[in-house]
Formats: sequence, C-alpha cells, structure tokens
Amino acid sequence: MKLTELFDKGEFVVTGEIGPIKGAINRDKSIHPTCAKEARSLHGHVHAVNVTDNQSAVMRLGSLAASVALKQQGIEPVYQLTCRDRNRIALQSDLLTAYSLGIDNVLLLTGDHIQLGDHKEAKPVFDLDSVQLLSMAMGLRKGHDITGHPIENPPDMAYGAVVNPNFEPLELQLLKMRKKIDAGAEFFQTQAVYDLEVFETFMNEAVKLGVPVQVGLVVLKSPQMGRFMNANVSGITVPSMWIEEIGSVDKDDRKKKAAEMMGNFLRQIKPMVQGVHIMPLGWADVVPSILETAEISIQ
Amino acid sequence: MHATIQKPIQEIVKYIKPGEKVFVIGCNNCAWKCHSGGVDETKMMAERLARRGIEVVGYTVPGPQGMSLCKLDHTEKVLKEDFADMVAKADSFLVLSCGQGVHTVIDATGGGMVHPGCDTIFGGETVSTTDIEEFCSLCGECVIEFTGGLCPMTLCSKQLLNGPCGGAEKGKCEVDSERNCGWVMIYERLKKLGRLELLDPYQKPKNHAKWSRPRSLKVSTTEATFSSQAGKVTVSNQE
Repeated sequence: MKLTELFDKGEFVVTGEIGPIKGAINRDKSIHPTCAKEARSLHGHVHAVNVTDNQSAVMRLGSLAASVALKQQGIEPVYQLTCRDRNRIALQSDLLTAYSLGIDNVLLLTGDHIQLGDHKEAKPVFDLDSVQLLSMAMGLRKGHDITGHPIENPPDMAYGAVVNPNFEPLELQLLKMRKKIDAGAEFFQTQAVYDLEVFETFMNEAVKLGVPVQVGLVVLKSPQMGRFMNANVSGITVPSMWIEEIGSVDKDDRKKKAAEMMGNFLRQIKPMVQGVHIMPLGWADVVPSILETAEISIQ
Repeated sequence: MHATIQKPIQEIVKYIKPGEKVFVIGCNNCAWKCHSGGVDETKMMAERLARRGIEVVGYTVPGPQGMSLCKLDHTEKVLKEDFADMVAKADSFLVLSCGQGVHTVIDATGGGMVHPGCDTIFGGETVSTTDIEEFCSLCGECVIEFTGGLCPMTLCSKQLLNGPCGGAEKGKCEVDSERNCGWVMIYERLKKLGRLELLDPYQKPKNHAKWSRPRSLKVSTTEATFSSQAGKVTVSNQE
C-alpha cells in the first residue's frame, strides 16, 4: 500500500521506525531480530514502519532485507535508501530490486556522513544528492534510467523525502525542499522537532508547497538522551524544558512520562500536518500511548 | 598549489635498504611554501638521514625560489648536468615534493628508483605563510558559477549540488562542529551579493568520467585539449 494513497484520501498518516540489527536474520526464524519485535509492537497502531539504511553510518543488516521481512509479516515498510554508500548504478538497481520484492514506499535521502558512524575510513560515495536521487527515481517510474535508456516494467512506488524544520537559515532548507518536490518528492517526513514555535514557522512556509508533511518525533527517553542528542546528533535540538521534564520522574515512570510529553506535543501540532512519523528508538511500546494522548487512531 | 606534508622520518628510513645511497631532492615552489621540501628542509633531511646512518650522496632543490620540481625540462637539466656526478652514485632519490614531483624525478633520471618523502594532501590556496586551505577538488567540471565561486564539491562534506543536507547546526557541518557548513557559506555569500536566484535551477549529477584518473592536457598557445574517460575536449583561447 502506497502512503500517497492514504494522503490522497485525507487520512492522518502515522509511521513508526525501526533500525535493522547489527547482524543477520536467523535462517530458521526461531529467533526474531529485535527490530522485528519492535515492528510487531507498532503493528496495528501505525500505517507503515520506516526501515533505516545503515543509520548514523553504522553498518547493519540491509534496509531492504529488513523491509522485505516486515512485508512478509504483514507490516507495511517504508524502505529508506541513502546516497552515502551507493553510486547511481547501485541506487537504481536497488530501487528496481525493492519494487520487484514488493516494496511500495521508499524514503530517499542523502544519509548521515561516514564520519558519524563506525566505519570512518570507508569511502563516502555521494555520487548523487537527494534531489538528484528523487529525479532519477521518478525517471525509473517514467520508464527510463538516468542515462535515458528504457527499462522494462517500470517500478511504481511512492517516493518520500526528508526536511529539517530546525535548519538555520530556514530559507535555504526550504529551497532544498522545493527542489525535492520539483524532482518528485510526494510526501515529507521531518527531522525530529521539539519546539512548537520553530515548527510553526516552518509549516507556515512548507504548507504553501502543497505536499503532505509528517512531523518527525523522536521519543525522548531520559535527560541523558536529550543531552546526548544536543551534543552528538546533528540537526536536532532538545530544549532544556524537555530535558528537565523527562528528568523530573523516576526511571520506572519515564515511559509513561515520555508518552504523555510526546502525545501532548503531537496534539498541538496535529492540525498543522498531514501525519506523524514517530521514531521510538527501541521504545516502540510507548507509541500507542503517544497516539492515544494525541487523540489519533488509524483506520 | 599542491599541499604536502613530510612523512615521519621513521617511515622514510624504513624505505631505504642497508647500504643504499640516496640523493635528496626538494621543490622550490609548493613544497617550499609548505616547509616540506624547500631549501632548508631538503638540507635538513640530508642531515637527518646521515645521522641515522644513511649514506646521502648529495641533495638539491632545483632552480630559484618559485621554480617547480615538476617542470621536467628544468629538473632534468639540473640532475643531468649540475649534479651528474652525485646522481650517478645514487641508488635512489628521496623526493620532498608532491606526487607529480616524484614522477618528474623518475622521468628526469631515466627511470631512477624513487622514495616519496611527503604525503600529497590537497590542492590549496596559500592564504598566508602559515595557512593553506582547500577550495578546489580538481574535479574537472567546475560548478562554481552558480555558487558564487564557493565549491560545494570541496566545501560540502557530502559534495551536494542542490543545497544543504539537514545535518548542519548553527551553520556548522555535521561532520565537524568547528567547520562552517559549505552550503550556509554559499547561501550567505549569494544573499550578500543579491544573487540567490542562482541557487534555484536543478543541478544535474556530476559527470564523474571527467574526474577519472589519469587525465592529461595537451596545450598550445592557441588551444588546449583535456583528455579523460569522458573523452577529449578541445577549447580555443582565440575566439
């Protein structure tokens, strides 16, 4: 099921996210990878689950293998594909492979730099940027590869992209967003936001572009995590107010508190957007309470 | 200019076999600016090697200050005429220059054994006598007309051509919080120049065949031909 069909129907689209494990899927399927367990706890509460592509440039199970594994379990995946590790040949081939294996939704992005990950001496590829990747993906849908050669059975998948509302200067990020839309982006998932005012300023401009936006939320699990993200995760700022609030309760009560905080924030943002993308970072079990607090339920 | 930095002496010493006679040669242009292979450093290298028991049969830095070691005709003349005796005794040449200079010494000595004394690190601007900064990646297909002269292939860690990634924070790159985001720099410059519209058009993917190695350039006073895996391009400077 393509997410674009849901947006077209006016549904509030809810997606979650899992990171593939550092390791392979067990051949006898007797031990399910932790990421599959997380995906199952999201099942029924979200429309689809993003599967990250070697996120933070840390080498892991491939996003396509994990996406296909979810699909086989009846969970709709959003296959993430980055420019970091593949040249234009590999990117196109992976898009064709993804469609051939039943993938309906792809999120096309630049990817975190190799220096942020666990293979710092690897060669960064970045043959294309995310705008060029979107343009190339649209070309495949229209029946030709990036060189103009015709292809058989053109893939028909929904193409999503990302945008960072926290970026300064915002005008520059919006320029990139416009270019992504011109190139073929059909929906956006945003970087994690914690500041209502910042997000409102962004949406006031983004709404003019007429493409569905899902607000990105990273579940804040502890004050330590907030401080860690501020120091180490680029493009995200967790305000001290959030850090203090999650730290105001004992460890045992933090899941409940996180659900309440994220849920209340989402309830305020909900009228501005066409969906939400929740990145639970291992706390998939709090997603239902977040949605409940925000008064969101999926069809 | 080609920025170079000397290899650690411990590594250089390992290149030289017991009993091997070495001639040390530097460069009076780029390596001189980098203090990696100018007149002083070349003399010093000869002494440093000698102190470690290596037989140095001679040393030189061809030409006046500003002369490049990679100018083959000049280097060849210096080695074959001015230093012929010492060169004849040498088993190998320790070259304190960029990789182009190392190859020039191979050519100038009729295929002599060479050891690199430096790592060639980038092509840079000599911002001051103590600072050399990289602004160009020598990619073969210049895109800086639409970026106000600032190269995204060099100043953006991800070499993005259509604007920034989402990773920059407070104008700093996600890879290094000390370094300015190349795209924020481009934006600020074009905004100041009143030329932000230059950023609007879609920039197509790079032709990496022009960045293939090795590449060559044939020049005359009237035209030049650039050869790469993208083919040959001849441009006149007369019309």
